[in-house]
Amino acid sequence: MPATGYRKQATSTTMNQTALKELIYKIADDLLILGHRNSEWTGFGPLLEEDIAFSSMAQDKIGQSYALYQMLNELGEPAPDTVAFTRNANQFLNCQLVELPNQEYDFSLVRHFLFDTADALRWELLTQSSYEPLALLAKKIKGELRYHTMHANTWMKQLGSATEESISRLQRSLEVGMPYALGIFEESPNEKEIVAEGMFAGEKELKKRWLTKIENLIAQTQLHLPDSKILSPVLGGRIGKHSEHLQPLLDEMSEVFKIDPSAEW
Amino acid sequence: MKSLDPRVTRLPHIGEVKLKKSLDQFGTFEVFVQAKEGKAFQHEGAIHAPNLEMAYVLAKETFTRRFTCVSIYVVDTRDVFVSPTTEGNKSAYDLIAKNVEGTIKQTFEIYHLPKRGKLHVHVGSVEASSPEAAMINAKELFGTGKIVYNIWAIEHNKIRFTSSEDKDLWNTLPEKKFRDASDYKGGDKLKEFLERVKN
Repeated sequence: MPATGYRKQATSTTMNQTALKELIYKIADDLLILGHRNSEWTGFGPLLEEDIAFSSMAQDKIGQSYALYQMLNELGEPAPDTVAFTRNANQFLNCQLVELPNQEYDFSLVRHFLFDTADALRWELLTQSSYEPLALLAKKIKGELRYHTMHANTWMKQLGSATEESISRLQRSLEVGMPYALGIFEESPNEKEIVAEGMFAGEKELKKRWLTKIENLIAQTQLHLPDSKILSPVLGGRIGKHSEHLQPLLDEMSEVFKIDPSAEW
Repeated sequence: MKSLDPRVTRLPHIGEVKLKKSLDQFGTFEVFVQAKEGKAFQHEGAIHAPNLEMAYVLAKETFTRRFTCVSIYVVDTRDVFVSPTTEGNKSAYDLIAKNVEGTIKQTFEIYHLPKRGKLHVHVGSVEASSPEAAMINAKELFGTGKIVYNIWAIEHNKIRFTSSEDKDLWNTLPEKKFRDASDYKGGDKLKEFLERVKN
């Protein structure tokens, strides 16, 4: 499918382990943190049906991150709960977009659209990954990703052409979110190895596809996409540099776990 | 700018006394679910949405997030033709007005309510020029002699179906037990705890 010339590796043991773990960690951390953020809407959604849908997608994301932490566990990393609940902010490799506070629903929707479009494309590329467990997981979660993007696109088309207020709110959120969204594609320290060994087609390829997708969707609304060429991406997430918002999120997320880390759930 | 945000529109201000406006709410849409390939679609309930497409997107999570499902469809509540309802003494098919004909033939989907308290189940489709005529035709085709408490007829082209590509929507991670309270085995843990306290 992608014309990036993947070089298939014989086994995972011959792969660069540092690069492979880095790739899995950043995808997993994105999903866990955004899953947690989106779950903060549970009970506060703008209408009952949307509350259910948004919460359900948040659960999907946490389920996907769990599958990835299990994969890391098989590669020698600590257990999923340990990895999710005991690391500090500077050990997380998520992009900064996902850790930003929810703000109003317009921002959460725009973030959902910007992130999930990239996420679905990332997994589409990962179906070709030389690391087989990633390729298999990519096929397993295809349906979830399809729903997430369908949900995001439908809302963006709906509110992006509805009232003066809805359009201006989405527009403002797009402008706030876009520099952070460009940070999704920050290259990891081992990006070269990740691409060379065929684990993933790479952030450049992903960004190219993402821009085409979001431009197409925004063109069907009355919104204007901020020009990505003149914006500076918010970077740092992929090397553990975060905004002041991540640590409080982690503290809250791990509060119950830390009361009794040995408890069986 | 005119705002729909209640935090803005409810701000106190001095003004004239007015009549109460009708409620600002979305309309409703009926949701039908197919649990397995080959099984009939069944009515599951209604949801609120601004339009048919949004209704489809919201119905998916509202009605199919836990149970097995292969397909859904939605239709505006106002597009559902409802027969008179019986209390079981006779079939709803016997209460349809005859000779109500329209001009253009269309396809109608037909649904039976097999019992009070149950949900409407899809039984098939018929060509007819009016919903009444559709139900009369349906009696020939699907009226098995059993009592039907109520009949619905919906024009086929008013329904938002699941496309073949969208069938993937239900192809998800199977390990979702963490979504169910039962997975946390609360009862077992409580029992264990009570045993411990007793001894």
